[in-house]
Amino acid sequence: MKLVALMKKEFHRFFHDPRLIVTILLPGIVIFLLYTVLGNIIHTEESRELKVYLSGNSAVVGLLEQQINESGDKVEWLPLENEEEARAAVKEGEATAILTLTENFDSFGEGARAGIVYDSGSENGSYFYGLVSSVLISVGMRFPIDVQTVNDSADIGREILTALLPFLVVTFVFSACMSVTLESVAGEKERGTLATILATSVKRSHIALGKIIPLSCISAIGAASSFLGVVLSLPKLMGLDATVLVGYSFVSYLLLFLLILSFVPLIVSAIGVVSTLSRSVKEASAYTSVLMILVMLVSIVSLVVTQMGEWVIAVPVLNAVTAMGRILGGELPVWQSLLSVGANLLYTVVLVWAIAKMLSSEKVMFGK
Amino acid sequence: MEDLFANEIVRAENLKKTFTLSRKQQRLEKTALNRKIAVNGLSFSANRGEIYGLLGPNGAGKTTTLRMLSTLIKPDEGDAYIMGHSVRKEPQKVRDCVGFLTGELKLETFFTPDYLFDFFGAMHGVEKEVLAERKRELFARFGIDAFAQVKVGDLSTGMKQKVSLVVSIVHDPDVVIFDEPTNGLDVLTAKVVTDFLLELRRMGKSILLSTHIFSLVEKLCDRVGIIIDGKMAEEGPLAAVCGTTSLEEKFFELYHGLKGEIV
Ligand SMILES: Nc1ncnc2c1ncn2[C@@H]1O[C@H](COP(=O)(O)OP(=O)(O)OP(=O)(O)O)[C@@H](O)[C@H]1O
Ligand SMILES: [Mg+2]
Repeated sequence: MKLVALMKKEFHRFFHDPRLIVTILLPGIVIFLLYTVLGNIIHTEESRELKVYLSGNSAVVGLLEQQINESGDKVEWLPLENEEEARAAVKEGEATAILTLTENFDSFGEGARAGIVYDSGSENGSYFYGLVSSVLISVGMRFPIDVQTVNDSADIGREILTALLPFLVVTFVFSACMSVTLESVAGEKERGTLATILATSVKRSHIALGKIIPLSCISAIGAASSFLGVVLSLPKLMGLDATVLVGYSFVSYLLLFLLILSFVPLIVSAIGVVSTLSRSVKEASAYTSVLMILVMLVSIVSLVVTQMGEWVIAVPVLNAVTAMGRILGGELPVWQSLLSVGANLLYTVVLVWAIAKMLSSEKVMFGK
Repeated sequence: MEDLFANEIVRAENLKKTFTLSRKQQRLEKTALNRKIAVNGLSFSANRGEIYGLLGPNGAGKTTTLRMLSTLIKPDEGDAYIMGHSVRKEPQKVRDCVGFLTGELKLETFFTPDYLFDFFGAMHGVEKEVLAERKRELFARFGIDAFAQVKVGDLSTGMKQKVSLVVSIVHDPDVVIFDEPTNGLDVLTAKVVTDFLLELRRMGKSILLSTHIFSLVEKLCDRVGIIIDGKMAEEGPLAAVCGTTSLEEKFFELYHGLKGEIV
């Protein structure tokens, strides 16, 4: 009952203060807008010059050309003479794609087919492929296109995601946890409102849990907002197809979600420990910045060092970051992820216990 | 046991508290010693239904004593009993029968008196119905009802003080401990507090307060203990301690007796 009242108070404090809600959600929105605008500036400034090998003819070609010209781009049609050479050119990036349409294509009859070969890692290739599919759908084509990609699909997209996302996630989760926890724990200690609660008969462990649980939930909202902002704007920023995101299975998303979820209370309680030890919000934020730099360093290490032993599971932050990296790289490290989540929860419990101990320590709470 | 504590509601026995000083504190206190004896073998007792005043100059050890009595810090030596519960061995029980208020214990300004009353009621494990009834009664009695839904941060200092006072007795404690209840308050707000204390005594509560203001003791207290340098210099009913002189004269008499003619 007392624990429920403590948690309710924390939620009430947050959800009845529009200023706090904005502070939490704003980073995600700002990131999304910023990245999207950035992506648009980077990728639409110059017009595209497409080079497409074409075999067969159809009214569709005219439609494609019209669309391309309308968006201010140019297309050069090359006759497809040597398929091997053409493929090599696409692979080298000298040409955009190969488009093959059967003779009777416009009749849409028996045996009418369209084929496309492109480099999914190239921006122009993906763009052209998207254009072809939409034009074919618009003319009412009901049969499949033969799609071949000369590079392994979404490879480059994945590489960028793999390298950058875990780092971004850690950074945003940390800053979400930081703004909420510093204010609530160090702030309450500094203002003397925590001491008022200590003068009641409520258990110190309940006070600690009554802080960490709601603060984790609130931070998770902020982290989710930042995370969504990054994920949704990253394809735009990189000039990649949004299909990069669809390429992962449900289980990969579930694991990613669990990893991030286990990471939030860990960070909240770590900042909680620092805040409890500090005398003021100012002091606590100074120590927390050091903590943040450490956490960021660790997540950078995991970007640089790719092969790490089983021991990473036991290292907080590093365990989650490496697991996230592997998932984004297309693997499914189920055990590593679950064990990392377990380790994070264990560390969280230890930290919460430490906070409870500190709350009962007169040196920490009432020392001069 | 029951009989012994029937009238004697607070009893401190040989309380002692020593603090380790940091370098910075040593410089501030102008001492080469790294230890400071804040309270040095303090004993006294306070009776049911009375107001007991701990009187002493700055640094005498009043706050330290009251913090030990309200279980925020632990005595190094000695023990104290509140309604028969040892502050050392049964801190939870002590917290449930004591209301503690000092200037350092603050209320979150974001919340309303109504919310805080319910919240601290829950912290003390008060039943919902009992809590609602008590809130109605106390808010009406101290004129808070009109401000029950105003954020504490938007209240006047006097009203804020009233809210703190009312919240500190949300669990209907038998003993109320106030450290420097009128410190830093203007005359009007100070009157709010002294009236509140007198009202509490009328309600049958026992009150333990600390102060360095002679007039406050003379106006409110039934018993007084004069603390100098962490030791009890004199203790007893107000009239007995003063004798034929004023409290102020008595204090300086004791002070000079202990420290020599410095002041
Ligand atoms: N946590 C602490 N660490 C170190 N020294 C302390 C601590 N708390 C109190 N002291 C020292 O113990 C002595 C008694 O302090 P205390 O606060 O009990 O006095 P007081 O009678 O309340 O004085 P005041 O009128 O200034 O409030 C002082 O010298 C003070 O500096
Ligand atoms: Mg004091």
